[in-house]
Amino acid sequence: MTPTRRSLLAAGAALPFLGAVPARAQRQPGVLRFGLSSFPPSIQPWVNTGTAAATVKLLIYRGLVSFAPDGTLRGELAESWQNENPTTWVFRLRENAVFQNGDRVTSEDIRWNLEQMAAERSTAFYRGQAQRIARIETPDARTVRLVTMEPMVTLPLWFANYHMMMVSPRSPTGAGSLPIGAGPFVLKGQERGVSLDLEPFDRYYKPGLPKLRGVRMIAYADENLRVAALQAGDVDLIEYVPWQAMASIEADPKLRLDAADGPFMYLTFNTTRPHLGDARVRRAIAHAIRREDIVKAAFFGRGSPLEGLPIPPGSPLFDAELATGWRYDPDRARALLAEAGVPNGFSTNILSTAQYGMHKDTAEVVQQHLAAVGIQAELRLPDWATRVTLGNRGQFDISVMGTTTENNDPDGLTNLIDGSLPASYIRSIGLRVPRIEELLAAGRAEFDEAKRRAIYTEMQRIALAEAPIVGLAWRSQGYAMVPEVRGFKALAGALNFFSGITLEETTIG
Amino acid sequence: MRRLAIPGALVAAIVLVALAAPILGLPDPVQQDIAQRLSGPTAGSPLGRDEFGRDVLSRLIWGARASLTVAFASAAIACALGTLLGLLGGWFRGLGELLALRSMDIVLCFPPILLALLVVTLLGPGSGTLILVLAILFLPGFVRVTYAEVLSARSHDYVEAVRALGAGPLRILIVTVLPNVAGPILVQLSLAVAAAVVLESGLSFLGLGVVPPEPSWGLMIRGARATMAQAPLLLLWPCAVLTFTILAMNLLCDALRDWVDPRTASAVRLRAIDRVLPGLLPPARADAVLQVDRLTVEIDTPAGVIRPVDDVSFAVRAGETVAIVGESGSGKSLTAASVMGLLPPAARIAQGAALLDGTDLLRLDEAALRRLRGGAMAMVFQDPMSSLNPVHRTGDQVAEAILAHRPMPRAAARREAVGLFRRVGIADPERRANAFPHEMSGGMRQRVMIAMAIANNPRLLIADEPTTALDVTVQAQILDLLADLRRETGMALVFITHNLGVVAEIADRVVVMYAGQVVEQGETEAVFARPLHPYTRALLAAVPEGDEKPAGIPGVVPPPHALPPGCRFAPRCPHAAPACEAAAPSLESYDGRLVRCVRVAAWLRETASA
Amino acid sequence: MLVWTVRRILVSLVLIWIVATVIFTVIHLVPGDPAELLLSSGGMAPDPAAVAELRERLGLDRPFLEQYGAFLSGLLRGDLGASMIDEYPVIDEVLLRLPRTLELIAAGAILAVLIGIPVGTQAALRRGTVFDRATSATAALLLAVPIFVVGTLLVLVFAQWLRWMPAGGYVPLAQDPWQHLTLLTMPALAVAKGLVAVVFRMTRAAVLDSLSRDFVRTARAKGLSPSRILVHHVVRNAIIPVLTVLALHMGTLLGGTVLVEYVFNWPGMSTPLLKAVEARDYPMVVGIVLTISVLFVALNLVMDLVYAALDPRIRHA
Repeated sequence: MTPTRRSLLAAGAALPFLGAVPARAQRQPGVLRFGLSSFPPSIQPWVNTGTAAATVKLLIYRGLVSFAPDGTLRGELAESWQNENPTTWVFRLRENAVFQNGDRVTSEDIRWNLEQMAAERSTAFYRGQAQRIARIETPDARTVRLVTMEPMVTLPLWFANYHMMMVSPRSPTGAGSLPIGAGPFVLKGQERGVSLDLEPFDRYYKPGLPKLRGVRMIAYADENLRVAALQAGDVDLIEYVPWQAMASIEADPKLRLDAADGPFMYLTFNTTRPHLGDARVRRAIAHAIRREDIVKAAFFGRGSPLEGLPIPPGSPLFDAELATGWRYDPDRARALLAEAGVPNGFSTNILSTAQYGMHKDTAEVVQQHLAAVGIQAELRLPDWATRVTLGNRGQFDISVMGTTTENNDPDGLTNLIDGSLPASYIRSIGLRVPRIEELLAAGRAEFDEAKRRAIYTEMQRIALAEAPIVGLAWRSQGYAMVPEVRGFKALAGALNFFSGITLEETTIG
Repeated sequence: MRRLAIPGALVAAIVLVALAAPILGLPDPVQQDIAQRLSGPTAGSPLGRDEFGRDVLSRLIWGARASLTVAFASAAIACALGTLLGLLGGWFRGLGELLALRSMDIVLCFPPILLALLVVTLLGPGSGTLILVLAILFLPGFVRVTYAEVLSARSHDYVEAVRALGAGPLRILIVTVLPNVAGPILVQLSLAVAAAVVLESGLSFLGLGVVPPEPSWGLMIRGARATMAQAPLLLLWPCAVLTFTILAMNLLCDALRDWVDPRTASAVRLRAIDRVLPGLLPPARADAVLQVDRLTVEIDTPAGVIRPVDDVSFAVRAGETVAIVGESGSGKSLTAASVMGLLPPAARIAQGAALLDGTDLLRLDEAALRRLRGGAMAMVFQDPMSSLNPVHRTGDQVAEAILAHRPMPRAAARREAVGLFRRVGIADPERRANAFPHEMSGGMRQRVMIAMAIANNPRLLIADEPTTALDVTVQAQILDLLADLRRETGMALVFITHNLGVVAEIADRVVVMYAGQVVEQGETEAVFARPLHPYTRALLAAVPEGDEKPAGIPGVVPPPHALPPGCRFAPRCPHAAPACEAAAPSLESYDGRLVRCVRVAAWLRETASA
Repeated sequence: MLVWTVRRILVSLVLIWIVATVIFTVIHLVPGDPAELLLSSGGMAPDPAAVAELRERLGLDRPFLEQYGAFLSGLLRGDLGASMIDEYPVIDEVLLRLPRTLELIAAGAILAVLIGIPVGTQAALRRGTVFDRATSATAALLLAVPIFVVGTLLVLVFAQWLRWMPAGGYVPLAQDPWQHLTLLTMPALAVAKGLVAVVFRMTRAAVLDSLSRDFVRTARAKGLSPSRILVHHVVRNAIIPVLTVLALHMGTLLGGTVLVEYVFNWPGMSTPLLKAVEARDYPMVVGIVLTISVLFVALNLVMDLVYAALDPRIRHA
């Protein structure tokens, strides 16, 4: 009786008291608190460990070149680069670039990096690319000459990638040690799974940069909490703004949203399964899906329909007509099915994952629209790890996938539609279209812009007919921040996950 | 049974609505209409639409099918398997016990989420997998409950008896043990169903549950959480039905527990209805320690007001022993409870007085009564094992009685308790005072109870069937002890029993009760020599062999809400005449005795002439 | 007693070995490969040669029994191995995270006991009254509304509207005691949410049971005050089943606070466990599960001692 009532009253009295005391730690001036969507599994500079790691890598490391906020290439460790002949690229290194151990960045260091990436025991993401470099010449300490096995117009793009960061050959080795980079920030400390603390590197080669006095990165796995932390003032900047929160952040005068379409959702097929080997059936599927529904249901309207291959509208190779080649047309879909001999549709399954809401939601909408043209698809929603394995092994009929290309160049599509590449969960299984493979190879080797455009236009036409993948939706990828954060910019298109590069110019307060 | 009606109906209603989903004319629960996404209530969809524009009401009801199927199926599987394992483990002990219990420990070592994650990853998500996961999670609970119950059932007399008759273990398990452990298992089952509904929602949230687009409550909550800011109501509906379901299951579980184990809840009321006793007594005696006068106790029941104690009067003098005798349901215990102020809440004093040394106990407030209870008046109960608190040392329990009335240092009270132990004939009292009740024999425990009762030198001691639970030898010792104490202290003793044999040994006077009323009262010797009431005679006829219950009387005591008109004993009376049913007999004086029988005079004449 | 203890420890060791073997086998059995997954992060397609190389480095290319043997011999040396993702020693992760999970569970349990036992007792004493019905309904509500909803609401109210505390996170006690406790508040409430309901229901049932016992009548017949009867006889006897259930639930909370940790960013041990399963980080999964089972066994042992202290009937059984 009384004890309960009394303790309740006591609890009630204690709450306002909490409010009277500053519950929040004092914000350190000039230190940016960055809300990550997940803690980077590891920060090995050459190994792909995801997008959260990418942001951290772009703080600690630098490559030869980088993407400027407008998406163009600009010099980093290299101050200039040129193409001597179709198989030879020459990079001229900056004079003042030093690793964080104080050593100057020399052409020998670059050679060592590339050799390590290409080595037999390498786990580097660009291992394959590095192995396409036949010869590395270092005529002097500031010049690197790369001779490739075949003409390679996209080579500079490799060196802007966060998987091709240059580290000091004299880095410590052994369990848990991190290679030494030449980026604007030094990793001061971290708690595994929780947070990372970075401080400026005082000998960074760009004068006056970085402007911040530190970066504290805190992982918030729950997207709702990440937004709440921003709104409550616990962090200054968050990545991966959940789509449902974008409208309220835009409406909030105390916050700013910087979002751009970049990653996209699409379908892949196991063409060894009944009917799916028939291009007409795949095209029927492409025409059967109303993309706006996916944009609305999975992304709260934050994105746009993707009715062709994922070439961003800003790209010089974008073709408005080809971009809507798979527009929603259920009658056309039914006609194609009839043509393929399955007028009443068929039964199949869709592999997606319940672990990520956007994958699950997209699959639900696709299922609904396929049912409308007679294709009865059962949803398979295992966890992500299983989904990847099943995808790699081809144990599915249709799969829902979401990713981004490596860069905004149409060559980035190679990974998605080149059937000559090893089986992978991001591509269709068992589908070889020799003409597409040839055109992709030709595009990579062609230095003339107009000819390149023609090659990729033809490639798109063939792809629209063959439907090696089916585009579904661009999704908006957003960063949100308090207005005191200035200089941070979300890069457009495939480069969105490179936005961390602008942290060197970011200021706060 | 009636207590089961409301919660049972609630749960049945939920299940019925879920079962009826296909015939309710609901919109297709998986049909999307993205244009209507998150729209509020409209004519077609009274609860609005979800993030895919699907009808929320339809999804709630169809979702109930998925959620409840998972819940009931998993709980049922866990129940069947767990009960089996528990039975085997509890009955065969040894290896069976090791395997049954330790394998459950292994299950418990895995965090539930991890277990779910692993099983789902291995088998693929879906309702079937979910049922399996939940069944595994609930299994240890059923095994443990069954095991514990079987262990306690094993030692019970009835199981020992069946065993002695040579029944096989399987037969004993199924026929004898299972029905007796059914209660706790049923309760566990209803708890598991409620828990399963909650877990389904949690696992579906993690993507480990029901596969979309099939609706389930958990999936609805998961979906609604993302749209919390845009459409908070979407969160409300599934949470509300979940709460309602759990509440209904909880109520059903409580009711089930009461039903299978009447001791816990309504027990108080039942006991009050059962134990009835009538009485009326001689005029006031100046020297009476206790004088009960026209005591009537009433209880409101659904069948109307009953009077389990009806107009009972008697008196006890200092140093005197009065026995109150009657079958179960005669009202003797309730009479004692009235005097002690320990009536169950449902019962109330309708009229009468109970004077303890001139103070009317029935009109005292609780605080004043409390000062008297354990002080001037004390009571010893039937079953010393259950009447002693199992978790406190016996010496402390006696000391507690002392301290409640006479403030003193704990150590002094403890010393006094040891003295009391010695006084009630407990050997090695210092050591015994440190013992717990379960470490003592039945007779020794009753001695502790008596020590507790006499701790404050009561003027009145009421002993309610103090020897019934004891074997014959010990019975005699306890009776001797009570007699000795009465002699030494001069306290008044009210001795309640159904055993007339005991009465002869200890009582100065006897009060015979039947169906709430006193039917005969007088000096023990006289009553035994020449019982006047047919009921007294029947009781005496049943005694000669000693301590058997009065089995010789055909029929049972009538329930208090269905008393016969006229004489209450008439339906069972071998001498009943039409006059007996005509009018209720009153308590008349014969030969210095009180008798409630219209045919006493006639019968006296018959026996005299015979 | 010595024989009992030795036997008990031996059985526990066998139990832990079985748990280790089961988890080791099952985690290797489920689809998904740690090397492939790590290199596929962010929806990328790794070079199969790079995957093969990483598999070899992690020893995943060796036969299962060989891997199991290596694991067992490591275990015998007290070595739980290191993460396959970043080579972080499992034992370090456990030692860092475990106290935080234990703190969370302990805080939740204390809240549950402080609220659940008095309210449950009152509900039993006032059985059938409005108070009883209202508290029972509240308990059902607490059980029904999932943690991820309650947690988000708590954050919304306390962090976003009232701005009394950060939305989530953790600060070591040594660094800033006040901030530490502030951050503990919401997760502890969330853990307590389910426990309160459980403790409440169990207390109510146990007190009802206790109330109908004969020894309570004896206590009244002794003339004890109602408060003494309630505390020394009714609640004292009711507490044993309540603690049994509480201990069982606390046991399942080890590694079961995933959602609370997720919703409030509390860096306990459940999150690494979940992450490790997602990434198929075998040594981390096995190491954390082993830690949990050792704790579970220890908890059982402690509870047996507590029962013996509370219930003399168990002491010599």
